[in-house]
Amino acid sequence: MKKIIALLLAMVMTMALVACGGTSDEPATDEGGEAAATTIKVAAIETAYGSQVWADVAAAFEAETGIKVELTTDKNLEDVISGPMQNGEYPDVVHLATGRPAGLTEQLIKANAMHDLTNMLATTIPGESATPADKIVGGFTETSITSPYGDGKTYLAPMFYSPCGLFYNAKLFEEKGWTVPTTWDEMWALGDLAKAEGIALFTYPTTGYFDTFIPTLIASVGGTELWESISNYEEGIWETAEAQKVLDVIAKLATYVHPNTPAQANNQDFTKNQLMVMTNDALFMPNGTWITGEMRDAEATLENEFAWGMTALPGFDSSAAPYAYCWFEQAWIPAGAENIEAAEQFVAFLYSDKAAEIFATAGAIQPIVGVADGLEGENKVFYSIYDNGAKACMGAFAAFGEIPGVTVADTFFAPIDSLVAGTITIDDYAELVKTNSAQMAAAKLG
Amino acid sequence: MKSNSRRTAFLFTCVAPAVILFTIFMLVPTFNVFRLSLFQRSTFNPQETFIGLKNFQMLMNDATFIRSMQNMLLLIVMVTVFTMGTALVFAGILTREKLRGQNFFRIVFYIPNILSVVVISGIFSAIYDVDRGLLNSILSVFGSEGVLWKGEEHVIMSLVIAMVWQAIGYYMVMYMASMAAVPVDLYESSSLDGATGVTQFFQITLPLIWTNIRTTLTFFIISTINMAFLFVSAMTSGGPNNASNVALLYMYNQKNLGGGYGYAMAIGVVIFLFSFGLSAIVNKATERDVLEY
Repeated sequence: MKKIIALLLAMVMTMALVACGGTSDEPATDEGGEAAATTIKVAAIETAYGSQVWADVAAAFEAETGIKVELTTDKNLEDVISGPMQNGEYPDVVHLATGRPAGLTEQLIKANAMHDLTNMLATTIPGESATPADKIVGGFTETSITSPYGDGKTYLAPMFYSPCGLFYNAKLFEEKGWTVPTTWDEMWALGDLAKAEGIALFTYPTTGYFDTFIPTLIASVGGTELWESISNYEEGIWETAEAQKVLDVIAKLATYVHPNTPAQANNQDFTKNQLMVMTNDALFMPNGTWITGEMRDAEATLENEFAWGMTALPGFDSSAAPYAYCWFEQAWIPAGAENIEAAEQFVAFLYSDKAAEIFATAGAIQPIVGVADGLEGENKVFYSIYDNGAKACMGAFAAFGEIPGVTVADTFFAPIDSLVAGTITIDDYAELVKTNSAQMAAAKLG
Repeated sequence: MKSNSRRTAFLFTCVAPAVILFTIFMLVPTFNVFRLSLFQRSTFNPQETFIGLKNFQMLMNDATFIRSMQNMLLLIVMVTVFTMGTALVFAGILTREKLRGQNFFRIVFYIPNILSVVVISGIFSAIYDVDRGLLNSILSVFGSEGVLWKGEEHVIMSLVIAMVWQAIGYYMVMYMASMAAVPVDLYESSSLDGATGVTQFFQITLPLIWTNIRTTLTFFIISTINMAFLFVSAMTSGGPNNASNVALLYMYNQKNLGGGYGYAMAIGVVIFLFSFGLSAIVNKATERDVLEY
């Protein structure tokens, strides 16, 4: 008897195991019923703008088109969707940003697994007569981010943008009677002045923030043409006199960085670096407009001693134009998506007046003509940077295939920690940049 | 005969669930790790190109990989030596000496073990703060200023401290359990012969719990490889400039950006062989005759 019971138990275990292996993807709707409404899966990263805006936009889209939206939002969206994606279960629309450590967007670009959005841009927006192409601010769809293969086709739709520049404590400048430098020479002079008062000229949250600083610095030295050449790994570009100027600024800047910075430049402690600007331990840091929301709690404790200021990067000399990087998030459709047509409608709808209005309530500003006009307060000042003479710098280092051990971040950004700590020299940095750029050039996509 | 075959069938059925589970969740993935390490493949592109041992060849020339292996080895050695040393001494004191509040100490030492790594990294972020941190405040009394605990120079030491702090309690409890099993009369008779507490510890306690120490050594190696990944991800993200990167984190990052899936699996193979090899060496080196008592 005992044996039989034991045998039965063992069988139950085996059955349970087999049951675990099965999938439970039963059809959600009756097959016999009338053609059910299409349902698209939308996955959006939850950032400082919150996730409610996405729910609202999804609801507005449903009301407009009758297409149902199954929404997933998460702060670590990659962890949620990349597992199923590897099994072939793709969301229909993804909203993410490039340059994140998980690099999901970059991986799909490398795998040629993005749906071409060029046609979508020319279709009319649901409920309107305009097309996304009519509404998107010029230049955004031709960057190396939105058109990663350089073939004139747009694979990523530009979403919320933020001008990036150097952030500082405007109150401190007012109090000390300092003016914000417009050339690098003025910058160094201010650096020496501040040093005498025990304030470092520069800090950065993590080296990841150089993904906006370095392109802008390059553009401020040699215009967007130089940035274009460097980001496309043109042969011999790092040997030119202009590139040398860029290296010189980086080398000199490293000596002006607050010494605590590299030890705090990690995902855990980066706010301590940001705080240094607010507590007058450092003057400038590269950042984006989201910083005001991120540091709101700290700002509340510094009532009258602090106010955010933002400036474009200084020009190389007084004749050069100042540049400010234009950072933006992207929406895209994986090539493996099931409902491409409905997904295209959704992406187009993101540029509708209705959607733009919902997004703007949370401070998420799309590159749509006229949207930034309605801004108020700090954001109005930040977003008007381009109206006040700064030129926009856009794009990222061109996409390339797999190179063992070589990433953009480890080549161009992370070594700056070591430069500041003095464990490598600018020549070591230049050498690394040259060797890796050559490899990236060879593996470049498109 | 008939009952024999029924018995076999019965045994087979009993063992089957475990074997099936083991095959699906251990053998197949491990086999896949080895297989994929010979291919070039990106995560979202099912296309696989066979490249033989090229991934391994490139690994040998990858300075960051070598650095992350060195860091891992350094962490294994330092964390093992410090944790084991301290845990043994504390366990010895708590079992052999009559201390007030023994249970209190036992709990206090064990608490870090039940905290999540994220909480621990938060605690240590406060301890290691350059200007307002606990450590630097204490050191400033002695005239030392602004030590960058998470800077390139000290970052590994900072990780070691956090990892040892976290692990001591667990191993201490394990050693205490085996020390309690050592017969008291051995200590009594040795003390009649004039042995001090220290002599007893080295001559009686250590040899008699040797089997336990050997087992925990293997635990140390495997758990430090895993824990290093968690601690480094939470505390330093591998920075500054890969100074605290460890092999598992490097594998994870190379899968996403860099060398792709195949290359990451090659790193996985190296870590696999490394941990197996190290465990085997340690096992062999610590082999002693088992003392019966």
